[in-house]
Parts: sequence; C-alpha cells; structure tokens
Amino acid sequence: MQSNKLYSAIFAAGITLILACLMIGVKLDTEGTQLAVRGATAEQWTWIGLGVGLVFLSQLFSAQIDAFFGKLPKPQLGKLLPEERKRATLKPWLIAALIVGMIIWPFMVSRGSVDLATLTLIYIMLGLGLNIVVGLAGLLDLGFVAFYAVGAYTYALLSMYFGLSFWVCLPISAGLAALFGFILGFPVLRLRGDYLAIVTLGFGEIIRILLNNWTAVTNGPSGISGIAKPTLFGLEFTRRAKGEDAQTFHDFMGISYSSSYKVIFLYLIAVLLVCVVVYVINRLMRMPIGRAWEALREDEIACRSLGLNRTAIKLSAFTIGASTAGFAGAFFSARQGFISPESFIFIESAIILAIVVLGGMGSQVGVILAAIVMTILPELAREFAEYRMLMFGLLMVIMMRWRPEGLVPMKRPHLELKQ
Amino acid sequence: MTESFLYLIQQLINGLTIGSTYALIAIGYTMVYGIIGMINFAHGEIYMIGSYVTFIVIAGLLGMGLVSLPIILIVALIVAVIIASTYGWTVERVAYRPLRGSNRLIPLISAIGMSIFLQNYVVLAQGSRDVALPPQITGGWTFGDPSVFEVSFSYMQALIWIATFATMSALTLFISRSRMGRACRACSEDLGMTNLLGIDTNRTIALTFIIGAALAAVAGLLLGLYYGVVNPFIGFIAGLKAFTAAVLGGIGSIPGAVLGGLILGVTEALTSAYFPSEYKDVVSFGLLVLILLFRPSGLLGKPEVEKV
Amino acid sequence: MNRITKTLLTFGSAVCLAGAISAAQAETLKIGLAGPATGPVAQYGDMQKIGVMAAIEDINKAGGINGMQLEGVIYDDACDPKQAVAVANKIVNDGIQHVVGHLCSSSTEPASDIYDEEGVLMITAASTSPSITEKGYQLIFRTIGLDSLQGTLAAQHILNNAKPQRIAIIHDKQQYGEGLATTVKSVLEGSNVNAVMFEGVTAGDKDFSALIAKLKKNNVDFVYYGGYHPELGLILRQSREKGFGAQFMGPEGIVNSDLAKIAGQAVEGVLATAPKSFDQNPVNQARVDAIKAKGEDPTGPFVFTAYAAVELMKNAIEKTGDTDPEALAEHIRSNPLDTAIGKVSYDEKGDLTESTFQVYTLHTDGSKSPVK
Repeated sequence: MQSNKLYSAIFAAGITLILACLMIGVKLDTEGTQLAVRGATAEQWTWIGLGVGLVFLSQLFSAQIDAFFGKLPKPQLGKLLPEERKRATLKPWLIAALIVGMIIWPFMVSRGSVDLATLTLIYIMLGLGLNIVVGLAGLLDLGFVAFYAVGAYTYALLSMYFGLSFWVCLPISAGLAALFGFILGFPVLRLRGDYLAIVTLGFGEIIRILLNNWTAVTNGPSGISGIAKPTLFGLEFTRRAKGEDAQTFHDFMGISYSSSYKVIFLYLIAVLLVCVVVYVINRLMRMPIGRAWEALREDEIACRSLGLNRTAIKLSAFTIGASTAGFAGAFFSARQGFISPESFIFIESAIILAIVVLGGMGSQVGVILAAIVMTILPELAREFAEYRMLMFGLLMVIMMRWRPEGLVPMKRPHLELKQ
Repeated sequence: MTESFLYLIQQLINGLTIGSTYALIAIGYTMVYGIIGMINFAHGEIYMIGSYVTFIVIAGLLGMGLVSLPIILIVALIVAVIIASTYGWTVERVAYRPLRGSNRLIPLISAIGMSIFLQNYVVLAQGSRDVALPPQITGGWTFGDPSVFEVSFSYMQALIWIATFATMSALTLFISRSRMGRACRACSEDLGMTNLLGIDTNRTIALTFIIGAALAAVAGLLLGLYYGVVNPFIGFIAGLKAFTAAVLGGIGSIPGAVLGGLILGVTEALTSAYFPSEYKDVVSFGLLVLILLFRPSGLLGKPEVEKV
Repeated sequence: MNRITKTLLTFGSAVCLAGAISAAQAETLKIGLAGPATGPVAQYGDMQKIGVMAAIEDINKAGGINGMQLEGVIYDDACDPKQAVAVANKIVNDGIQHVVGHLCSSSTEPASDIYDEEGVLMITAASTSPSITEKGYQLIFRTIGLDSLQGTLAAQHILNNAKPQRIAIIHDKQQYGEGLATTVKSVLEGSNVNAVMFEGVTAGDKDFSALIAKLKKNNVDFVYYGGYHPELGLILRQSREKGFGAQFMGPEGIVNSDLAKIAGQAVEGVLATAPKSFDQNPVNQARVDAIKAKGEDPTGPFVFTAYAAVELMKNAIEKTGDTDPEALAEHIRSNPLDTAIGKVSYDEKGDLTESTFQVYTLHTDGSKSPVK
C-alpha cells in the first residue's frame, strides 16, 4: 500500500514537472527578428521545484490530508438557521431588515463600494434571469448576453434618437428583450441539451456582430456614449442641469453638490429593480407555471404525457428570463453612460452561467450569493493584477469540486405534515 | 477559364484549408463528447499549448544549430503531442473525473474555469504578445493564367488537408476496429454497464482525453506553421469555431466533425469572397441554426432516442 | 469608564495620531496610471507605464515638485470599458486627482465622463478617438494627435505621393481602426478618389486568405489598413505567400517591432503614419539612455507621449503652486509648454493644436525611416 502511494506520488510529481518545464521553464523570446528560447531564471526554477515538491508530498500524504479535512466540520447552513417554524415567522422581519439595511448602507461607505455594489446588483439581476432558463427550466443557454445587449442598446438608442427617459425605456427594453427571446425560442426550443447550447451561443455572437457592423444605427464598434442618467421625477444628478427647464437634485433640495448622490441614486434604483425581480420570480416559482418549469427539467416525457404544453412552458421560461436580462441591460447602459459591443462577449455569458451554477441551480438566495462572490472577488483580487484571472479560473474549478451542488442548494417550497 | 471561375476555385481551396483546421480541432471535441457526453471547454486551450510547444521546440532546435527541417518537425510533433496529452490528461483528472456522475452542467463550468486558468497561465509564463515564427515550409503550386487570375495552392495547405484526412481515417479505424475503440464505444453507450463488464472506464475516458489532446497538438503544430503566429488567446476562438463545426456535423461522429469543419470553412471563405467579410461569422452561425432546425442532431449525428 | 475601554481609547487615538503624522511627513503626490496591464493589448499599456515611470523617476531625482515626491499607482482596466468605469470610480475613491490614461479609446470614453464630473485631471497618452474631447470636458487632455489628423495625413500622402490606381481600405471593425479607415475614405472621396473596396475583418482572426484572394481579384495596388499590428502582420505575411504585392499603409497602431517579427520580409516598404519618433530626438537622449539602462524599450509610440503627460502635470503644479485639477487644467490649456514631444499647446477642447504625425517607411529589422 505504502509503495503504491509512493509510485502515484512520483507519477504526479513527474507530470507536474513535465507540465511546468515546457511552459514556465522556457520562454519564447525574440532577438531582433529571430525567434529564440530563453531558459527560466533560477528563481523561477526554485518555484517550479517547490511546486513539484508540494504535489509530491500532497499525493504521498493524501490519505492523512483527506482525514484532516474530513475531521473539519462541514459548513452546515441548515443547522445554523433556526428551525422551520421559527424561520417562517422570522422571515418577513429578516427581509425587511435586509431591505432597510441595503437602503441605509450606501450612505455610510465610500463611493467606490457603492459603485461596486451596483455592478453586483446588475449581475444579480442577470443571474436571476438566467436562473429561470437554466436552473428552473433546465435549458442550457450559452448566449444569454444577447438579451442583455438588446436591453442595453434599446435604452441607449431610444435615449439617443428620441430622448426618451430611463423610466419609459425600462419596460420597453424588457419587452423588446422578451420579444427577442420569444422569436429565438420559437424555432430552437425543440433542440435538446448541447444543441440548444450551441445555437444560443451562436445567437449571442450574431447579435454582437450585428451591433458591431450596423454602424449607421448603433455607431458600430465606437459604441454609444453620453447615455442619459436616470432622473428622479425629472431631477438630474449632475453638477449642472443639462436641459432647458431641467433642474438638478441638489438645487431642488437646497444642498451642495456631491457626486456621491448620483452613485447612491443609481444604487438605489438597482436595489429597487432587484427587489422587483426577486419578488416577481419568487411568485412565478410558486405558480403552476413555475412548477411546470421544474417538472419539465426533471422529465420532459412525463410532462408531455401529463398534458403539459412543452413549447409554451419552455417559451415562457425563455421569454421571462430574457426580459430580466433586458431590464438589467437598460440599467447597465444607464449606469455606464457608454456601451459598445465589446461589453457583450461570450465570456460574459459564461460568467453569468457560472453564477447560476455556483449559486446552486434554481436557488434564488444561492444565485444572489454567487453573484456577490463572482463580482467582488475579482475586484478584491485587483491587487494581484496579472494573477487575477488565473485565480478566478482556479476558483471556478475548486468551487465545482468543493460544492458541486452550489453554495445554497435549491429547496423546493413544501409543506410538512405535523405529527 | 474565366476569372470568376478561377476566383471561385481559389476561394474553395482557401475554405477547405480553413475547414480542415477546424476539423482537426473538432475531432477532439467530438471524441470526448461521444464518450462522456460533455463538452471539453478546455480543448481550445490545449490546442494553443500545442502551438506554443511547437514553437519552443522549433526555436530551440534552430538555436542549437539543427537545420534539417524534417527532423525538426518530427521532434516538434513528438514533443508537442506528449506535452499536450499530459495537459489533456491533467484536465480530465482535475476538472472532470472528480465530478463524474454529477449534474452535467457542473463539469461544464469547471471546464470553463480550467480554460480561463490555462489561458492566463500561458499569459503569465509566455507573455501576451504575439510570438512569430518565420515560414518553415514555403512554396506551392500555381495554376491559371497570371494575367487573368492566378490560383495558388501552397505545400503547407496540402499538408493540412492530408493530415486532416489521415487523422480522420486513422481514428475511425481505431474506434471501429481496435479493442480500445470498442471499449470507447461501449463507454458511450452505457458507462455503468461497461464498468460492470470489467472495462476500466476511467482509463478509457482518460485515453479519450489524451487522444483528443494529441490531435489538438497536431492541429497546433500545423496551424502554428501555417500562420506562423501564436498568442495565448488563439485557443478560445479556434475552440469556438471547432465546437460549432462538431455540432454542425453531428457531435459524437468523427466523419461528421470533419464534414462540419469543411462546411464551416467553405461557408466562411465564400461569404468573405462575395459579401463583406465582417458578416462571415453571422452567416456561419446562421447556417448552423438552419441546419439544426432541420436536422436537430447535426448532419451525421445519430438522432437521440427518447427512452421512457 | 472601565480600564479596557480606556486602554482601547488611548490606543486608538495613538494610532490615529501616528497616521496623521505619517500622512503629514510623506509628501507624496499620487499619479494614477490607468491602462491595460493584462489582456491582448497589454504591451501598449507597458509603453505608457515605461514613459510615466521614467518621468516620475526623473522628477523625483530632481527633488520632486515643490518638495513633493511623485508616486505612480497602476490601475489595470484590461482595455475593457466595463472595467474602465470600475477603475475610474476606484481612482476617484482613492482620492487620486491626477491620471495618465486610459489607453484604448473605448476605455477612455466612459472613464473620462467620470473624471470630468468628479474633478480629476486626466491626460491620455494614447487615445486618439476624436469623440473623447467633443463633449466639452474641462479636465480632459491628450498628448497625442487625433485619428482625424492621422487619417487626413495618410489620405494626403495617398493622393499626392503614392497616387495608386485601385485603393482598398480595410479595417479591423474596432473603434480605432474603423474611425481611421472612415476618415481616410472620406478625405479620398473629397478628392473624387473612390476606394474599390471598403471592408472590415475580425480582430483576432488568423486566416485572411479569402480577403487576399478578393484583393487580388479586384487588382488592388494600394491597401490602407486601419487597425493594429497582429492582423496586418498576418495579412502581409499571407499576401507574400500568395504572391499579392500591393503597397500597404497603416496607422501608428502597426508601428511596433512585433510587426516585423510576424510578417518578416513582407514588412519592407510598408508605409505608416506615426507620431514623430521622439526617442530619436536628441533632446530625449538622456531619457532614452535611462530607460534602456533599466532594460526597457524606449521606442514604443506611447512612451514619450506618456512622459510628456507627466511633464505637463508637473509644470502646471509648479507654476500654479496648487494641485487642484481645475486650476491645473486652466494653466495647461492657456500655457504652451516644451516637453519631450516638442511644444505642446491646446485648443479649447483639450486637443493638441499641432499635429505631430509623420509618414514613415517600415523596414524588416523593425526600424522606420521618415518619408520626405
């Protein structure tokens, strides 16, 4: 047994050495115009050596390490929470406290944090939208960013060409994104699994390329800049009023100008939008349509034999998911003030999907938690500069191994018979 | 021969070459999918690593004063295949094996993570600049009247065509005839049952990843030589295109992957030839959607049977 | 008040005091340096960093600005507009009021909106898109000429010197490349010269054989390419392999030693508009040597534009005796200054009044020589 372990440890160390040697150990370099190979510095070799040693030891003592981690108590969220009945009575209070906290919080922290929180809220909206499609209805969508782009461009274009305000455009954006979802969903929903994934991925790319090429309307790769910020009943949050009869918020309130008002205002809008989205989706999940989504995910054939209309159910999931993305998109372009097709690339879809999976598919709390983790972690890691994305990728792998069911696995709403 | 005919011939040659490159990478996708029913999102990165290793070996050997091109290429091929296979095996070991049996989205996400990781790992190790290699295999055939339109077909393009068809045939034979190939097919039918029948499924799956990675390395070598440029970001785009090709031809089918790659390449070349080339991706994805609408399992894919 | 609270309070106030003292002692002025440190265009970010860091080092060696030492703080936006907004907010948040950056026009645009609103002085050393300075910003400047100037110069060269028969204009469908290509096209059309082809390629693509066959079919003898070096390098290389031998021309985004590495022999004779090579200017000899001594490359097009940006800030702070961005902007706008890139004077919008571009011929060894 012991020698067996030794062999596997040597094997793993050898593999690590091979992997490291030809990537880190030698570096392609150009001397003049000629390609040359340069060996790594002594310091780099030391690191490689350390890495190999670490792999060797961890393999050799894997049993002991596993045993050590096995002894550590697993995070048991369920046990931390009070029991079911108490929780039911506590829940409204908890939610109220949370909302109040979210409203008070921005006035106490720096503007950078508020801005980051706003970005997080956008991802929460996107995550919740995709959660309907992937988590509840089980349709793998790799092109979710397309609807996000539709929403963003709808507001940007309407604001640029017709001067419509954010509040008018918000429902239009959501509606248009939903329409796109509907149009796309109609033909592709008979595809299954991975075929659906690749078609949606293609659709996402098509939307982005069209936005990029249709220069006459969308300004092409230059994007649209100077998108109007939302107003509070016509009050602007700029230093100087832009329009003729426009008034700024600080003039109206009779207080001196501060740039944080705008940031906080945007944040509060985001909070409002997220609350609306959470509420609506939460209700939908308990309605027959929500049950039908989940039933369809579990067993399509059973659903059909029970007389559920497969197309209608899938379409509704697709459309509602898309409209949520449209919502988020309109807000994104308002917050950003500038959008270009570059913001809607595939990796964005992948990140939203990662949020849904990481959160625990179908679980709203989980998705919200995952969105927070996925947006704040890269920001915190900004200090690590070039190692940031490396760690992000690694984290995705580790999270999937550590908690494949997600941070907060979904719990179905159910009733228990009291004894 | 008229100018427009020669032009069409030239564009078809170009398209078939691009298509062959997609096909080479697509075969790797399709093999892994065929067996475990999962998309190996890190496959494109393996191709990129294969390209880098090729460059390192060629530059190193040239630097040591070796001049014989065939020897350099053979050594580069062997090293690239070994290293890329090791990476492929590691990806399977780290990102797939521990997650086997869980919801199918889970390995997908971990593979996306792996892909981000590998890409940035190469950025850190080799820098994000384009690294260029002077042309190694030059020359080719030309035909047609130079005053009308001269069609060129380079040796390098020919090599890519040959390599693609050779790998396709070899793999098809391997899958249909060899003992290991039978094990692979058995795994794709029913993993649990195959295991019960005494076949080491873990080994079979690892082998599939290794073969897929080796093919990616071959693609990395050929494309590295053909374009002469490599950077850490080539894997993503190539992977996306190859994945599209694999789905187009019917994922899981090796001739399908080749067919899909060729169709995709020719479509792109012809779109660039007769329309503004910025729309070529729209047309190719549009074609994919259309084909899937009428043949939901791709061109040569087996229709999925719904079991109750 | 019990003892623990007392101790805590004493300790706390001591920490606060210590903090206040150290803040008063260390008279450093932080300069934000925003640009890509990661991602595909990180090498352009490096050029900017080399220039800014060299300038800061020189200033600090000479005793700083009014006794204040400078410190460069690097912020990575990866040339992604979304991250650029986050970076801009972080800079405002960190209390930094002087920024050199951003690099890509698509990042500079949303970021400059924030800087102007929040009272941060921003000088970009590399963003050439005209739309950045068209919004009436007060605090936004640049030390590089506009795309429109560069495009016009290229078009004039085509009309007056090259005089080709059939021109094709190709671009990479990005803000920078397409903007330039459009400018060239419209200037040419103004002189009744029509391009036979005007077309985009996909940035990041590797295969341009279809495009080259198309150029060949249209008998194009002059190609203007709006974009960066990786794509043009491949186009040149593949053109040579396919026996297509038109004259190529591009903007400063292709002037990079990597172009010659990718395209090899095919680079010889390619035309490019670029800022005057400031590293060749005898005025900058000492600076070039200092940068070389650190093992860095002083030849990048944005090294000395970034250097000049720091110089502008330094001079304005010295003259006004103030670090307030509004006062500095006012001073920079109204007082021309001799910098590493020559005399810098601004118009109302914050653009250079003098174009600093010139047409060059590129060579296989990565060097360039001016076209008379």
